[in-house]
Amino acid sequence: MFFLHNLERRVTLHPSYFGRNMHELVTTKLVKDVEGTCAGDYYIIAIMDTFDVSEGRILPGSGLAEFTVGYRAVVWRPFKGEVVDAIVDTVNQHGFFAKAGPLSLFVSSHLMPDEIQWDPTAAPPQFTNNADWVIEQGTHIRAKIIGLRTEVGEMWAIGSINGDFLGCLQA
Amino acid sequence: MSKPIRLGSRLRYPITIVKLLKSPGDTIKKQEPLMQYSFKWMKEVGDNLRENTWMEEQTTIVNWDSPTDGELKQWNIHEGQRIEADAPCMLVKEACSHEIQFQGLCAICGKDMTEVNWAAESRDTHRAPISMIHDRTNLTVSAAQAQRTEQELQRRLLQSRKLSLVVDLDQTVIQACVDPTVGEWLKDPTNPNHESVKNVKVFQLDDGPAWLANRFWYYIKLRPGLEGFLKRIADMYEMHVYTMGTRAYAHNVARVLDPDRKLFGNRVISRDENHNMWSKSLQRLFPVSTHMVVIIDDRSDVWPDNRPNLIKVSPYEFFKGIGDINSSFLPKRQDLLKSNGVKKKSKKEPSETAVDKKEDESAVTKLQVEEQQRTFEKQIKDRPLQALQEKLDWEDEEAEKVTVQSDDGSESRSSSPPAHRRRVLLDDDHELEFLERHLTNLHKMFYDRYDKERAVHQAGANNVDFEAVPDVGDLLDEAKSRVLRGKRIVLSGVLARDVDIYKSEIGLQIMSFGADLVPRVRRDVTHLVVNASQPGREKLLEARRRPHIKIVSLEWLAECFTKWEAVDETPYLFTSRLPEEEKGNGAAVGAEGEESGSEETGKLPNGSGRKNPRLKLVTASGRTRELEDDDDDDDDDESSDDGMDDEDEGLLPDALEDGQLSPIDGLKTFNWGSADAELDEFLASGSDEDDDEEEGDEDDEDEDGDDHETGTNRDEDEDLPLGEERSLEHSLQDKPAAGESPSKKRKLRDEDAATETGTESDALAGGDETPAKRLRRAKSHHSSSLRNRYHSDVDSGLPTPRVTGDEEDAALVKGSQQNGDGGGYDDAEDFDEAELEAEFEAEFEAEFEAEEAALRTMDVEKG
Repeated sequence: MFFLHNLERRVTLHPSYFGRNMHELVTTKLVKDVEGTCAGDYYIIAIMDTFDVSEGRILPGSGLAEFTVGYRAVVWRPFKGEVVDAIVDTVNQHGFFAKAGPLSLFVSSHLMPDEIQWDPTAAPPQFTNNADWVIEQGTHIRAKIIGLRTEVGEMWAIGSINGDFLGCLQA
Repeated sequence: MSKPIRLGSRLRYPITIVKLLKSPGDTIKKQEPLMQYSFKWMKEVGDNLRENTWMEEQTTIVNWDSPTDGELKQWNIHEGQRIEADAPCMLVKEACSHEIQFQGLCAICGKDMTEVNWAAESRDTHRAPISMIHDRTNLTVSAAQAQRTEQELQRRLLQSRKLSLVVDLDQTVIQACVDPTVGEWLKDPTNPNHESVKNVKVFQLDDGPAWLANRFWYYIKLRPGLEGFLKRIADMYEMHVYTMGTRAYAHNVARVLDPDRKLFGNRVISRDENHNMWSKSLQRLFPVSTHMVVIIDDRSDVWPDNRPNLIKVSPYEFFKGIGDINSSFLPKRQDLLKSNGVKKKSKKEPSETAVDKKEDESAVTKLQVEEQQRTFEKQIKDRPLQALQEKLDWEDEEAEKVTVQSDDGSESRSSSPPAHRRRVLLDDDHELEFLERHLTNLHKMFYDRYDKERAVHQAGANNVDFEAVPDVGDLLDEAKSRVLRGKRIVLSGVLARDVDIYKSEIGLQIMSFGADLVPRVRRDVTHLVVNASQPGREKLLEARRRPHIKIVSLEWLAECFTKWEAVDETPYLFTSRLPEEEKGNGAAVGAEGEESGSEETGKLPNGSGRKNPRLKLVTASGRTRELEDDDDDDDDDESSDDGMDDEDEGLLPDALEDGQLSPIDGLKTFNWGSADAELDEFLASGSDEDDDEEEGDEDDEDEDGDDHETGTNRDEDEDLPLGEERSLEHSLQDKPAAGESPSKKRKLRDEDAATETGTESDALAGGDETPAKRLRRAKSHHSSSLRNRYHSDVDSGLPTPRVTGDEEDAALVKGSQQNGDGGGYDDAEDFDEAELEAEFEAEFEAEFEAEEAALRTMDVEKG
């Protein structure tokens, strides 16, 4: 689910950047550092704006200036039970991997409708119900997240396409 | 499916079941109490201060928590039962057996498997330990799931009458290189190599560091006939790519070989997904059964556990001398069958094979990646192919010149560029034809055997009979062992003497083809395989005595291994005579070992007699060795001796070249007599020193006295720079105080010192500065009695003002404190000034001497 979230971060600036447009630089650096990263259990998708850039404090020893910046960002936190659209990455006999934006998702063959079968002889190998559904690399699918795990800077999810309106998205 | 659950080994047996809290049919959750049990234990009770304690038996009742989720099916225990040891206590139908896991998540129920609690004895992540898919390592499955998957695969293969074939890339089906010369030849139709490189495929990778990635191209040469080979083989085998290259590399090459992904599909595994940097393993892809898997690879040492399934292919070397660009991770190859081919892998450093495996693996990996990058860079910079071609062209030119000279009329031919320049890259490999034949035969053998077995088991026509599946490894062994059956082979000059032939690569191969490997030439030996470039003598002579023994070169063996048949020996017979045989005294050196015989080849008849004493000379002294070596430099056969020299280099200093100075050269001209005299003097002065210790105060004053003297010197100077004027002021301040308290004793000693000073400064002025003296001076630095003398050293213009400054500084401070006017200036300032003073003193050396003499007379007068 997407949220607008108020966050705070300390940004350090090298002394060579000290000057008139320091606050702009701070903002640019913040955007560069933060956008598109995974912060614990959510992804920071985009920074809307920054406010409250504090006065810079020179860090003793290094000479870097530290600013505390408050900013507002669009974050995406995937939840258990959330339905996401994803693109199939790789397919193997146990299931397939898909990417929902930055989130890596695995859908095992147990969590597919019964009529979907693994077809290893096709080129490339695929999951198919021998009718309108073919799941191979690049297919757009819709899956429900049933499990989530986070580590520093990374998240993984288990998805299911066993349910109404889940599975292949018809183009 | 119910699973028996054990009580666990951590309980304090024996236990007694007190109460069952759940009954069959109940749903149970992890960590939920299922039953209660009691156990007895001894406790120390009483007053332990007075040591009046005794043991008392206690009974404790504990809850037993469920280690798993699911439905309780059946209790195997009943209330009141006494249990002595760990045993299954109940049957549970598990909600999820977590058989497929993705990065710590169960891929079936979505639960986090990394959570650990006390109720379960083993971690949930251990339920799925096997990683068996090609392109990921973070998807793992349980043994049961792996078996199911593999059975599925075998069923499919048996139904379509196929086998699995694991294909190595580098030097087996392709050869890759990054030498930009290939690119130039590709663009230049006039180049003699253009024809050869015409069908070389090119791609760039984007996985490396950016600066490297866009700088070079990979050139991929397919083994001749590869496309047809793969197409035909694909009907009989399902092919997998297994390479030690990176993932991106593997996929790019697979795309080159198989643009529409019909042959390999996505069955590509690279070193990024391989768990091991040094070896490949079939168990990575086929964890349960390898009965239907065949491997083709050019190296057998990387398949330590799967030799039976391996068909070893002779390495494909199109780009000469390049080798395998992805082999920097692998141990050095040892199975070269070419006796006089290009020395391969010369680019490899020994360090990488000697990598300590105990080291942190990631560190090693990093090291090796760097190693590989260095290899790449080197290849790009050195352009080994271009060098080879240039060499070839040069040889051609030389040959051309010779013909021109002999023909002496054909000017026109020599001026025009040679019509047919020879080329480095020759595409003359036929390995795949034989390989295809072997694979076809193997496939036929497998299914013949399978059908026969199945008929015995009387399975239905369409049913798959897993019982009847033969092991393709056994079949392969069978087929190979027929090739050289009945042959008894002796190797000569092939392996180093300390290598166990039965464990060596070539030995294993010979035996796998059914031949007997024999260490010595005997009556029943049939073949002697010699290394044509360095044949061993002893065995060769032995074999020549027995006409039934066929003496063949290594190429015969290589041909047999390739064709899987005992090829006719005639073209490979080793007929050339040994050099010493030509000289007619081969028997004289016959006592030498076979390996050393190779070194003797081409040597003078007295070669062996000369060699040993020469070696002794080498160790005796570096200089002698040099001379010897100069004599023998033309001798190409001295390679082993040269090796010895290299070893010696670290131990003995090299002989000096002309014009180079030795640090002890000065000693040659050193006057030892004077040094001894000085030493005696020094030792004699030691008796004075004791007095000096008692009169330390006076010593300091002595320093002041010096200052006083120099101060007067400065006074006379009129052209002082500003800074020096300041220092001068200080010394002037100091002067009256210092001059006030001279003592008689000091004066007397001062005189002594002055005479010493005179001799020393004379010697130094002579410029004969030797290390011995320097050393002595450093020693004298510490003894206070010699301080005066030390001063005069400085006076004679030596570049050690800093030390002097320090000393003087200390002396000054001390002296001034003594005289009660030390507060006038601070130490730091004084320090610099002391340095300046030292320089200053040096300038006025001559005047100082005169002044000193004057002062002495003055002191004497005063006394």
